[in-house]
Amino acid sequence: MSRARNHALIAIVGVAAALTATPALAHHSFAMFDQSRKVTVQGTVKDFRWSNPHVFIQLLVKNDAGGEDEWSIEMTSPEHLARVGWRPGTLKAGDKITLVLHPLRDGTIKGGQYLSGIGPDGQALLGSPASPGEGK
Amino acid sequence: MAAAIALGCVAALATTLVAKSGASSTALPDWSGQWENVGATPDATGGFNQTLEQVLKQMEWSPPLNAATKAKVDAMQAKERKRLEAVARGEDPGGAFTACTFGYPGLMLDTPLMFEVLVTPKETALIFSSREIRHIYTDGRPHTPKDDLWATPWGDSIGHWEGQTLVMDTIAVKDPYGPEDSGSNVSAFGDVEGFLTIGILTQQAHFIERMRMIDPGHLEDQMTIIDPANLTAPWHMKRTYERVAHIHRMVYEDCEGEDRNPVVNGKFTLTPPPPDTPVGSSAPNSAAPAPSAPPK
Repeated sequence: MSRARNHALIAIVGVAAALTATPALAHHSFAMFDQSRKVTVQGTVKDFRWSNPHVFIQLLVKNDAGGEDEWSIEMTSPEHLARVGWRPGTLKAGDKITLVLHPLRDGTIKGGQYLSGIGPDGQALLGSPASPGEGK
Repeated sequence: MAAAIALGCVAALATTLVAKSGASSTALPDWSGQWENVGATPDATGGFNQTLEQVLKQMEWSPPLNAATKAKVDAMQAKERKRLEAVARGEDPGGAFTACTFGYPGLMLDTPLMFEVLVTPKETALIFSSREIRHIYTDGRPHTPKDDLWATPWGDSIGHWEGQTLVMDTIAVKDPYGPEDSGSNVSAFGDVEGFLTIGILTQQAHFIERMRMIDPGHLEDQMTIIDPANLTAPWHMKRTYERVAHIHRMVYEDCEGEDRNPVVNGKFTLTPPPPDTPVGSSAPNSAAPAPSAPPK
């Protein structure tokens, strides 16, 4: 069983633990993603943004109108991804990939939380659960 | 002859100094490499490889909280469950912050971060990917004198070697985000579930650890917490660390970076970072071995 946790939630509960009234300054949360839903998107990598606190995949996905939407896929931290085997060069612009993700609750924004994926070589991306879609 | 006597004196002095440091440098263990809590091996989704139940069993988790402290814990947990319900609805419960300081003893017990152990004759440094460092002075000094002592999230640590076991003694620990008079907290894994297993300590808590390598792939830290104000007895627990796979150098966390999840009308939103210029593409050392290259 994969455990649903991330630094954002650590930060949030950490404040509660301290019983303080620290003002809200910023948030690194996965609360904006609908954890009850999974969607699969196929597209072309525009950017792979290896940065703290979380890594992002910017993915160009064809839409029903014949154009393209740019999706923002949020991953975990570079430190965690590196321990799984990811590197800043794991994905490159132009790569054709398939991703499974928890979509944003706000459907007007194209984006989601990374769960698993198939890389440009047809192989599961590192750190993916055994089969795509079987993430948390 | 005089030169020989002088050399002999220098050698004797050096021997004395090494002996005072607790061990000769050649006798110190090699704990190099990167380490992580067993159970805290991440996957790419933000999840980890062990359940809370597994971690609790490994830690031999059994906090001897007194009644008053238990009541505080119960109240905190009830409050926290309400906050988590709000987060689950995608709402901002307020009170979040930007910093990435875990503090002690969480760094040893409940962090999902990796660390390195730098062993030297006079000091052992535990260096975490959150860029926090525990300095364990093993040169025979006592704790910081009372008049100079102040509580910090990492405490005041001294230590000595008993064979290949590093015995660490830590005092003056405070919660990194609590009020000035707050002590530290202990949770099983520092996450949402782990928080619900929290123990509350005062700034008078005294921590004694015994760290050793139990096999080439594992370190073990046996911790005893003495805090008569909140505990009915010394609290013993154990944490095991394993070597991190896939990497051979530190990769840093930075929770203090940009706000990628701004709150708009009480709801979290998503703002990806701006693209970076690839630093390796034009750098003179771009042909250097990849970060994943193992050490020779």
